[in-house]
Parts: sequence; C-alpha cells; structure tokens
Amino acid sequence: MSSRLPEPDCAEHIDAAPYVLGALEDADSYREHLLTCASCREEVAALSLVVEALPTSVAPAKAPATLHQRILTTVRSEAEVLRAAGPHADEAPRAAGRWRARRLSFPAVGLAIAASAAVAAVIAITTSGSSSGVRVTAAHLSASLPGARASLRQVAGHAELVVSGMRQPPPGKIYEVWLKRAGGAPQPTDALFGVTSQGSGTASVGQSLHGVREVLVTSEPRGGSLHPTSQPVIVVTLAA
Amino acid sequence: MSVLRRPARLTNDRLRKLADEELMELVAGNDPDAFEVILERHADAAFSLAYRMCATRSLAEDVTQEAFLALWRGGARYDRARGSVRTWALGIVHNRAVDALRRCNVHERRRAGDEGIEDSLEAPERTDAQAIGNAAASEIRGALDELPDEQKQVIELAYFGGFTHIEIASMLDLPLGTIKGRMRLGLHKLRGQLHGWEAVGT
Repeated sequence: MSSRLPEPDCAEHIDAAPYVLGALEDADSYREHLLTCASCREEVAALSLVVEALPTSVAPAKAPATLHQRILTTVRSEAEVLRAAGPHADEAPRAAGRWRARRLSFPAVGLAIAASAAVAAVIAITTSGSSSGVRVTAAHLSASLPGARASLRQVAGHAELVVSGMRQPPPGKIYEVWLKRAGGAPQPTDALFGVTSQGSGTASVGQSLHGVREVLVTSEPRGGSLHPTSQPVIVVTLAA
Repeated sequence: MSVLRRPARLTNDRLRKLADEELMELVAGNDPDAFEVILERHADAAFSLAYRMCATRSLAEDVTQEAFLALWRGGARYDRARGSVRTWALGIVHNRAVDALRRCNVHERRRAGDEGIEDSLEAPERTDAQAIGNAAASEIRGALDELPDEQKQVIELAYFGGFTHIEIASMLDLPLGTIKGRMRLGLHKLRGQLHGWEAVGT
C-alpha cells in the first residue's frame, strides 16, 4: 500500500487521527471545528471505525472471578438503594430560588461559589437486607456546568464521588477532589479524575471523611495540586 | 416505579437470550440481573483491554470495575444508534484506563505504551474460547504488525499508552506535525487492510 494519501480538502484534517486516538491535546477546539467541517467529520467517522477495532487486537485475558463478584455486589446494593428511594433518588436536588453566595477560605483564590444555593439534601438510606449503610449525598454544581450531576456515595468508610453530564476539564487539566474540615483549608486528596466523552466519571476517595464538612472538586494541572488553583465546580456539604 | 422496569422477573436464562441492546434497556431501568448478563458477556474483553493498557493486574481490575460501574450508573445513556454495546463498553474502559494512566508516572506509562508488553508482564489467565472472534483478533494484530514501526509506535503510544500527541513528540524528539502525520498514515493503512472488518468483528 502506498504511503501517500490524497491531499485533504481541509488543513485541519491532520488533527483527525490524533483526535480519534484520544491523543489530541486541544480536542475541544477540534470538536468545535467538526461542527462546521463536513470533510473532517467524514474523516473522523472513517478513522473511528479503525480505532474501535484496536481493542480486539489485544491478547485475551480472563477477568478474575473476584472482580466479577466485587462489581456485582456494588451493583446489587445500589439497585436496592435506588429501588427503595424511588425513581429520582439519584438526581441532585434543584437549587433553591434564592442565591446565597458563601465565602470559602481558599488560600489562593478566596472566591465565592456562585452556585452554593441550598443545603445539600442528604438521602440517607440503609440497604434493606444488609447491614452495610449506603449514604448518598447530592452535590452542588457550579453554574458553569449546566446539566451536570454529582453525588457522593459512602459505604462502610469508603467514599466515591460519581459525576455525570460533566464537561471535560480544560486542556491539560484534571479534576481533583479536596476535603475541607471546619475552619480548615481544603486538603488535597489523591483522587484525580477525568470524565468520559459522555461526561461521566468516578473518583474514589481513600482518605477518611471523619470531621469533613465539604468535599470539593476543582480543575487542576495534571498530577494535581497541593492547594486549589481554581474555583470549585462541585461542592458536597456533609451533615455534621 | 419506572416504566422501563420489566413487569415480571425474567429468569436469568431468559435474560441470556436477549440481545445486548435489549438488556441495556433493562439496565437503564435499574435491573441488576440484566446487568449481570452484560458483565458476563463483556468482562473478559474489557479486562483484556484494561490489562494491555495498564500493565498491572491491580490497576486493570480497578479500571474494569470503574468502567462497569459507570456503565451501570449511566446505562440510560447508551444509544444504540451509535454502535454496539461492546464498542460502547470498551470505549468506557479505554477512557478510564487513559485517566488512570495519566495519573501514573511517565515511566510506567511508557512501559504500557510500548509494544511487546505481554512478554514482560505477570502472565494473566488466558481464555481459549473468547467472545472476541479469534479470526478478527488475529486479523487486526496482523494488520498492526504490518504497519511500518514508526506508525505502529505512535498509534500504540497514543491509544494504549494514553499519551497525547505533544507528549509523544517530545518523547521521540520529533515535530508535532510528524507525529500527527504518522498517526494519520497508520490509521489509513489499517483502514485499508481492515476493510470489511466490522462484519467479522460483530
């Protein structure tokens, strides 16, 4: 096969391959370009089919049975929680009509969160038929993330932040989870996460939530920061 | 109670007769048994991809678990018009693995992105009869192996190693345009060789 390809109609064609491979650093601006360029859209569609075939090339390995079990245990317990709580338990509560800006003691920014409107509702449920309490706390989201949802699930000392409908962090950035105790500055965690192209993501918080009043998420340079360098986009207020 | 809940409980045997797309409708209606069938069908392929990318068993397990939990929690967002459940699920695994890799140090990632990684890893349990058609798998492996090394390398570093084109350029000490060009040539070449693969793979 020749290594020459026909001259593309659009100079930005060259970004299609790194884009479909998930390797284009400034994917957002190319995504914008795709809205107006049919030729690039065609190229992306054709190359996507190739990239979708790549996972098939890997050496097959068997998923461990213990992994199956772990996944199913979580899924079954969440199914019970959702069933017990009704169809909308999963959704973040709507912000109350009046906006009440609140100041956070951020060393670097000290900015108020525009969207911290109401006290987060806590749906505290104990799963029926099991002794493990699952606590789901809905989060407040910054007004810059319309349509996004987030909740913190606490099960047996382990906490997981689950987000959906989130936009990608800015190029070169990643989302970082912070824990804030009463009167203290936000402490960094090793929970760094990105979101899928559908906007969903999960961050597992290894640290103890003992005494934590707020769980925050900011976007930070990859690798994370020791102090927040941007305004939080998610705030989960925990009951004292 | 959501309209998507199945009216009467289907037995697991009957669920196993349903297509993935039908199962996903039940999953969106909070049905853990339907999810279990999806997990049975795709866990090995998902774990294989995660293991190839993460290079360690424990990280691969974490990534696979995160991906399936995301699939469970976001089941309502599966859109059958955009491809098979398998492709969708593997796309989630890929995104999760890239996130995990981008949290790792560069050295570990370089290992994972380079070819021939299987030889240097703890041997995973192999499956002999995979849901993945062996013919399709070897066809794609063959097509990748036929690429010029320089094209194969950038595709593997990007897709399996989770590196951005800028990182790859600095790693290989080459201009950005060269990296993008090699990716483009390589993917087009694969496309030519895999023509008609979709029919084999699904």
